[in-house]
Amino acid sequence: MIENFLSSWHLFHNSYLAGWLIGLILALIGVLVVARNQIFIGVAVSQASALGIALTMWLGAELPTGLLLGFTAESLSPVMAVIFSMIAALLTVPGGETGKETPEAITGWVYLFAASAAILIVSHSPLGLEEIYRLLSSSIIGAGANDVWIFMVFLLFTAIFIGISHRRLLLFTLDPAMAAAVGMKIKLWGLLISAVLGLAVGLAIRTSGMLYTFGCLVLPALVAKSLCRQVRAMFVVSPLVSLGAGVFGFILANHYDFPPAQMTVALLCLCLCLAWVWRRICRELKKVF
Amino acid sequence: MANLMNDSFLLKTAGLHLGYGRLPVLQEVNLEIRPGEFWFFLGPNGAGKTTLLKALLEEIRPQQGRILTAPELYRRENLGFVPQRCDLNPTLSTTVREFVLLGLVGIRANSRDREARLDWALDRVGLAGMAGKDYWSLSGGQRQRALVARALVRRPRILFLDEPTKGLDLAAEDALMQSLTDLNRRESLTVLFITHDLTLAARYASHVALFHNGKVEGGPIAEAMNPERLLTTYGVPIAVSQETAGKVTISMGKGTDNS
Repeated sequence: MIENFLSSWHLFHNSYLAGWLIGLILALIGVLVVARNQIFIGVAVSQASALGIALTMWLGAELPTGLLLGFTAESLSPVMAVIFSMIAALLTVPGGETGKETPEAITGWVYLFAASAAILIVSHSPLGLEEIYRLLSSSIIGAGANDVWIFMVFLLFTAIFIGISHRRLLLFTLDPAMAAAVGMKIKLWGLLISAVLGLAVGLAIRTSGMLYTFGCLVLPALVAKSLCRQVRAMFVVSPLVSLGAGVFGFILANHYDFPPAQMTVALLCLCLCLAWVWRRICRELKKVF
Repeated sequence: MANLMNDSFLLKTAGLHLGYGRLPVLQEVNLEIRPGEFWFFLGPNGAGKTTLLKALLEEIRPQQGRILTAPELYRRENLGFVPQRCDLNPTLSTTVREFVLLGLVGIRANSRDREARLDWALDRVGLAGMAGKDYWSLSGGQRQRALVARALVRRPRILFLDEPTKGLDLAAEDALMQSLTDLNRRESLTVLFITHDLTLAARYASHVALFHNGKVEGGPIAEAMNPERLLTTYGVPIAVSQETAGKVTISMGKGTDNS
């Protein structure tokens, strides 16, 4: 099985590396999403990113190249994906002010609007519709060396950012009132986290699709939440779970000729079930002893 | 906040006006808070207690007037805050240790210093030896004391508490108040406590500030807490009995007993 996988390395190593790097980045950011109990933000932001890509494809088909400032739809779509996902993430920043809509309601609106609008925009273009379905169904095959470098740099920055400011991030995530009292600019931190989330999802979705992006964002962090006694430890366990599932998932997918993104997400779901069972057993044992 | 160089006040408000947008909440607030005082902010809902607290914590800006602060409060590590409640995601596992150490945000401390601060804070609130415990296994009263410990781990000069006894049973409330009284007396910690509970104020306060109709009247408890002011503040007659050492007792009903 491993030999098969290694023999496919020279053909697909960029896809494998990009997939694992995306998994690591999203697993780190996912800890904040899960700790804030805002899991569906991930799916709404992913869907908004798909809307950005759909819009670029429509513009590319309908407008002359001059109106796109010389860029092709192909080269613009990653930028639009990032812009739309960042806008969606910023829209869902919790405000907490009386009279304003709840973040859950805004998240629901973003998801439904983006999901319907993305299909409507490309519904008369067979290629566009195909691309949107590809994004929704997820495929990591096709990543290039540039993607690997981009994700490597992004991972480095994300890890350094979290390493330096994990205590501030945790306090902001767990108790914004206290964070404000100790001098943290909580609106700024909210915007910063949303911007990083939007950027990560926007970059990831173009390469790996919605299922893989959303799966890697929430599932490893949920597994870590079930296994860890401290929130801080989730920042270590979550990426490890993501990497483990990614490596094992890609090997299995290669051996049995399954799509690797779906295989990895299915494995992560299985890991989460096992983590829930493990947590339950630990709780029962604690009661007995 | 402006600097305060020439007297011993920790915090002083001068002609302070606070509000949200065009909505005024408090007018002409003049309070002086000195080291070691135990202040209670009292008043009905919506009277502006939390608004003043937010202004003192620099979360909202004065519309008019000034907040003067002692130089030692320029460093926010000398300031502790205990919110009414902590909206921690209940499905998230955390230990008392991790929870309390979150209070060190913005403070440089090496691991030895962190441990010393943690032990000291937990000891002061009666949670010594519980650092490794799951936060969610604590009782409601213990969690509230963990919140206080999270503020204390900063070793503050002044501690702000926003209705920390809300929802606690009598035993838990008493344990929390004993911890705060000990800190106030032994460590000369200045305490600023928001509550609706007049009996708590009568029992533990050295000073009170009464909030009503956009105004704040404050001072030593024996002066500030009198039946007329309480009637104006709460709209019901409350009897006040002066006791020794500047303490008072209160009961519902008319009259004042200066024994």
